[in-house]
Amino acid sequence: MSWIREGELTIIERFCANIIKAGPMPKHVAFIMDGNRRYAQKCHVERQQGHSQGFDKLAQTLRWCLNLGIQEVTVYAFSIENFKRSKEEVDGLMDLARQKFSRLLGEQENLKKHGVCIRVLGDLPLLPLDIQELIAQAVLATRNYNKCFLNVCFAYTSRHEISNAVREMAWGVEQGLLEPSDVSESLLDKCLYTNNSPDPDLLIRTSGEVRLSDFLLWQTSHSCLVFQSVLWPEYSFWNLCEAILRFQMNYNALQ
Amino acid sequence: RQRWRSDGRALQKLPVHMGLVVTEEETSYADMASLVVWCMAVGISYVSVYDHNGIFKRNNSRLMDEILKQQQELLGLDCSKYTVEFANQDKADQVLNCQSTLKVLSPEDGKADIVKAAQNFCQLVAQQQRTYTDLDVNVLDNLLSSTNGFPDPDLVLKFGPVDSTLGFLPWHIRLTEIISLPSHLNISYEDFFSALHHYAACEQRWGK
Repeated sequence: MSWIREGELTIIERFCANIIKAGPMPKHVAFIMDGNRRYAQKCHVERQQGHSQGFDKLAQTLRWCLNLGIQEVTVYAFSIENFKRSKEEVDGLMDLARQKFSRLLGEQENLKKHGVCIRVLGDLPLLPLDIQELIAQAVLATRNYNKCFLNVCFAYTSRHEISNAVREMAWGVEQGLLEPSDVSESLLDKCLYTNNSPDPDLLIRTSGEVRLSDFLLWQTSHSCLVFQSVLWPEYSFWNLCEAILRFQMNYNALQ
Repeated sequence: RQRWRSDGRALQKLPVHMGLVVTEEETSYADMASLVVWCMAVGISYVSVYDHNGIFKRNNSRLMDEILKQQQELLGLDCSKYTVEFANQDKADQVLNCQSTLKVLSPEDGKADIVKAAQNFCQLVAQQQRTYTDLDVNVLDNLLSSTNGFPDPDLVLKFGPVDSTLGFLPWHIRLTEIISLPSHLNISYEDFFSALHHYAACEQRWGK
């Protein structure tokens, strides 16, 4: 299936996976998949190629997560801030989205086989209408699957998400469904786009940048943050293991 | 040691607001005071101090005493009375701008402050002074009170072995560079400055 690479771990990978799985494992991992454009520059290819390879790497990483028993993954695919990029690049990314979501819809058997529930989180009305439709179809088609969960943040920023949650609560007050005193941390949690998921245990950002860039700010306030210098299209199984080891080292401190 | 300001000027960029986040269980008022005073000496306008147990906040006055003491020792003058003077370039190194502001924060300034702002807005809605569509990112940003008058932190120095911000200003750190140092205990000026150097070299693309 195009969104999840086929294939099992190699013997060495399986060996390491078994060692790692002896310790506490994250149930929900979030990725800031950074470095596609620097990778393209490094390999002297077009930016669009970099993004396309970035998607392939996502498919491969999802496979590794499944192999490791990590049931939920959230990725930062496109930020509202990214609309500031050149029209050419934004159109290219939208085309990539069209391609990948369309392909997804043609793979119903595989979706069912892997039991992947896909959710897309963000200010979706900001996207071209046809993409909104493709997204809606993909989300509807997979909504009952529950073997694993993939949350794709698209046209997303955390501040917009939090503001949207507060707006929802305010709407509730206006409708007489809530009192202002009902507003609490847990109610806000329930109004976020991520309300169906536990907070990520582990947030990984690639390419060496050490910032959150408006991604899941509320949900990762107590998550293990791992910044890795590898560029996203070059991410390896070992990079993932390294991040999980850091999570394990932080486990007691973060309980 | 009088080269503080020239050190600050030598960097390509200085943070406007620096967050000092302690994830260690042990807190040292003397070392935190040094860090705060170095920030001020180097020309950082806003400094915030945070630990997830709220120890610095509860013992605010003890930290302030230590800071005043260190200002005297390290800078040799009472900064609270000092104003900016740049008579000429030669004298500039001896003249220090000590107009920095400090805030001591704890977890209640994070998510709890966002919830408080949300409650306040909902109260206005209940009183029909506002409608829910009035609430957007900017409105919510302005309703937060934990960092009144402070810009968002550009840089956080995180001390200790824990790879987490442990609840430090979640809303405000959306674009903050997070540089980790092993410990704030017995921290040296060199280690502090090399973190600033690291920050000065980072490329910020702002989504573009």
